[in-house]
Amino acid sequence: MGDVSQLATGLRRGTLEFCVLAMVEFEDRYGNEIVRRLGEEPNLAAGEGTIYPLLSRLRRSGWLESKWVESPSGPPRRYYGLTMAGRSALEHFRSEWVSFRQTVDRLVGTGEAA
Amino acid sequence: MKTNQTDVVAEYLREVDQRLAGLPVLQRRELLADLAAHIATERDERNLASEGEVIEVLERLGTPEAIAAAAHEEAGTQPRRPEAFYAPPSQPGGPYAPPSEPAGFYPPTAQSAGVYPPPVPPARPRSTNWALIGLVAGGAIVVLFVLCGFFALARGGESAPEPAVDVYPPAPTATADLVDPPTPTVTG
Repeated sequence: MGDVSQLATGLRRGTLEFCVLAMVEFEDRYGNEIVRRLGEEPNLAAGEGTIYPLLSRLRRSGWLESKWVESPSGPPRRYYGLTMAGRSALEHFRSEWVSFRQTVDRLVGTGEAA
Repeated sequence: MKTNQTDVVAEYLREVDQRLAGLPVLQRRELLADLAAHIATERDERNLASEGEVIEVLERLGTPEAIAAAAHEEAGTQPRRPEAFYAPPSQPGGPYAPPSEPAGFYPPTAQSAGVYPPPVPPARPRSTNWALIGLVAGGAIVVLFVLCGFFALARGGESAPEPAVDVYPPAPTATADLVDPPTPTVTG
């Protein structure tokens, strides 16, 4: 049990942030949208609340930008969008990920051809 | 009913906040604001009326421990370990500010020491343990050096005839006794 969750944590580390970046690639989204969407994936997030520290780091490292927007009906929402640096980081990840995944698939025997 | 919901949320946020000691103060406030906004938005968009529904939102957010752990990991800070290693055993009660670090990196250290004393006591047994282990290890090393020095002196000084005589006194006599008798029998 502990080993399984540790494996999930290890796989999540380094990949989850690019799932976040991809979510705001074409349009800005507010925190609840991002967090809710990732929370729907059972093996991605340990809890919805753990995404907010990640959003904070991505903003501080300059890959995301955020702005609080007043909502006509409810409380203000914090919208996140991709910066130029975030966009190129996402592109870089995409090319790295494809070759990385192919290597692992080949070595571990998880590829479709294997 | 509304006050009950606010109580639950306020307590939840306080629980999270208590576990964020060690995090830079602005990140700490940012996270609490994000969580508060998340809960308020969920409540508004889903028209949550009952306390049970609000608790469900909190459960989906995760335990305060899990959120604080994620925050410390993302910020590169560690909730308890640094205090265990930094706190010198000679001044366990006093707030400790690492002199080499920039002041801005650990803004809440002085605050957290004042507001949250619990993290300090667990640091004491650990550090004393380390001090004990260090003492024992150091003592063992000193004893080893002394022994090595003693043997080196003994060997270098007299090429170790004395210890041999001291340690195995019967051996030479025994062999002498064994060797001696045959010679008389051969000659006689």
